[in-house]
Amino acid sequence: MVPFALLAQTPPQKPDSQQPMGGASTGAPTTYTSRRTVGITDPTAPVIFEDVTDKTPLTNFRHRSGEAAKDYIFETPSGGVAIFDYDNDGRPDIYLVNGSTIGAMRGKEKAPRAALYHNLGNWKFEDVTDKAGVANERWGMGVAVGDYNNDGRPDLFVSNFGVSRLYRNNGDGTFTDVADKLGVARKGWSTGASFGDYDGDGRLDLFVPGYVQIDLNNLPPSPSDVNKAGGAGCQFRGAPVMCGPRGLTGEGDTLYHQKADGTFEDVSVKAGVNDPDKYYGFSSAFVHVNDDKLLDLIVVNDSTPKQLYINKGNGTFEEIGYPSGIALNENGREQAGMGLAVGDYDNDGRVDFHITNFSDDSNVLYHNDGDDNFTDVTFQAGLGEVSIPFLGWATSFIDYDNDGWLDLFVVNGHVYPAADTHQWGTSYAQQALLFHNLKGKFERVGAPPGNALANAWPGRGLAVGDLDGDGRLDLVINNLDAKPVVLRNVAASPGHWVGLRLIGDVTKKSPRDAIGATAYVTTGSVRQRQDVVSGAVFCSQNDMTLHFGLGAATKIDKLEIRWPDGSVESFDVPAVDKVITITQGKGK
Amino acid sequence: MKLSLKIVLFSIALLLAAGSAVAQDSGTVLTGADLTRVVPTSFYFQGLSAPTQMRHAAAARFGKDRYVISGLVDTSGYSADVRAKYVGFLITDSAITLNGESLQPGAYGFGFGTEGKLTVMDLAGKDLLSVSITNDKDLKRPRPLMMTADGAGVRLYNGKNYVVIAAQ
Repeated sequence: MVPFALLAQTPPQKPDSQQPMGGASTGAPTTYTSRRTVGITDPTAPVIFEDVTDKTPLTNFRHRSGEAAKDYIFETPSGGVAIFDYDNDGRPDIYLVNGSTIGAMRGKEKAPRAALYHNLGNWKFEDVTDKAGVANERWGMGVAVGDYNNDGRPDLFVSNFGVSRLYRNNGDGTFTDVADKLGVARKGWSTGASFGDYDGDGRLDLFVPGYVQIDLNNLPPSPSDVNKAGGAGCQFRGAPVMCGPRGLTGEGDTLYHQKADGTFEDVSVKAGVNDPDKYYGFSSAFVHVNDDKLLDLIVVNDSTPKQLYINKGNGTFEEIGYPSGIALNENGREQAGMGLAVGDYDNDGRVDFHITNFSDDSNVLYHNDGDDNFTDVTFQAGLGEVSIPFLGWATSFIDYDNDGWLDLFVVNGHVYPAADTHQWGTSYAQQALLFHNLKGKFERVGAPPGNALANAWPGRGLAVGDLDGDGRLDLVINNLDAKPVVLRNVAASPGHWVGLRLIGDVTKKSPRDAIGATAYVTTGSVRQRQDVVSGAVFCSQNDMTLHFGLGAATKIDKLEIRWPDGSVESFDVPAVDKVITITQGKGK
Repeated sequence: MKLSLKIVLFSIALLLAAGSAVAQDSGTVLTGADLTRVVPTSFYFQGLSAPTQMRHAAAARFGKDRYVISGLVDTSGYSADVRAKYVGFLITDSAITLNGESLQPGAYGFGFGTEGKLTVMDLAGKDLLSVSITNDKDLKRPRPLMMTADGAGVRLYNGKNYVVIAAQ
């Protein structure tokens, strides 16, 4: 909305939000003489990531989502990515979601294909999409990983604009779409899903946000309609653009409860998470907000309030977005939420959230104060001003230098191609943002000229994982209508580290892949926390191996695991700088 | 004649008493069903009826049955020019003041300028009244639009900024 006032706001306060122009922006428009989202380099900056895409077969992947003009909103957000070890060989693999076209949806042309790349080690990958049978060939949005049938093999939920899929991992390098058979073939526009066992029965359930209701036979006005008689169409700062999400009807959300027979039932209304106001859902995650042994749920919505659902332990949730402080930013504004990072950035033992937003508005960092209260600390933490010209999508905490403090990586890219032809201070393709965590305060890490971070991409999805097993977390970015980017972490002199692969005990009603488990690693006076989370980021999936940077520490003083069933165990860690498997029931 | 005069005088006295009662009433902020019963689901302004963002609507009752209702609307159907000045509506069925400035009964559009003013417009978009707003930097959990009780009336908040509405 238009600012109530800018009075009494002193720099570096962000400008108050503004009603969207064209449907999405929540910030205050400003005219700039230069773009602030491309070409920003720093010759003194360290080299952290190296673009190795062209050394891999991922360079041949081309994401496609509609036409370049982006006349319609459903052409703009596609592009999730997952890093997960589908064959349990210890090397994380890569799954790239693809979009589609109106022509393909109408059966008039071949649909773009998603792709699965098997990690062979030493930065060699093999495209195994055909063998695996996971090409999707629907209008893909995102991917969430969860071993829904507790067979030790990670499965994929691919959320689509259209009918979503649940790919069961058969354990022989192939997958089978069982969405229809099991009752999760969600129709409509599904986005950033999350697996989690909310009712503690040891079986993973599935939450899927819905975005906007679209009828391909009755499309919303396109930019070319703006100048037609009757004034249909939408504008952003006076330029014709696609319409939405504001002005379009939103879609409710869906919670699927897994029954004992392995099928799922829609319990959205009963559980109180059906989103009756039909907010524009983009990202979600089951995570322990108040550490009461029950998995809570956060939903990030575009241009509408965010929702925080506290698990009441009786199959229902209480939505506390407003009273918790999560729904709005510190100025009481709704924001155009996109991506979601989950992590304890200040090592105080509680999970915090970083959420990306539209351009002309800052991203937002919510500090978990405990007792279901959150405070927007974006500007105090150094994440405000710098993010305003960017339109953020995926965001993830990542301790890229293994110093024991979660850093932050944000993928950006505008939805309006017109951004490149107007003085909006932004651009269609945008640089990613890397922030170094200085014990709770963040500092942007510059991009050396010619380095990967100096490049601008139409970014959407992001996944984090140690692709080469060298103890440094690497990245894969899925870009809209472009090839992906594989970023190898080459940070010099990183600290020590340990990777934890958690295996839950199904007989104790913990899902086998341990989604919902929390690991606490203590080294000296620092106690870190990480959670096994499905989904989040933006329609993407990080490798579920928990990666802890240890700094100079060469031993772990204490490792505690709180398993999904609520039990807590301690484990001895004989060595660091390696990935170890931790099995429930084998500790103290 | 004398009887008529008495009736007139009595009526005037009643009106004065009622007016006084309203003026002394600092207003009750409505919630729940009391709120949804009075808030319109859409509002006409400058050639279009736009849906009310019901989650961003508020109302107060002054006296027994005098209401002030406000809400943000979905302005996505308006031109950029209108969106730049119009965000919601203000309906009052009795004379009120906004930060001491008089506003007669009626239905109005309103918006906020970067100069720190709330501007009230008639339904054709003509500016009628502009008042300064106050920043409540200590407000916890601000919202896009809400009302809270104030000693002199009710505060109409947009984020941390507010104006005071009082019965006249």
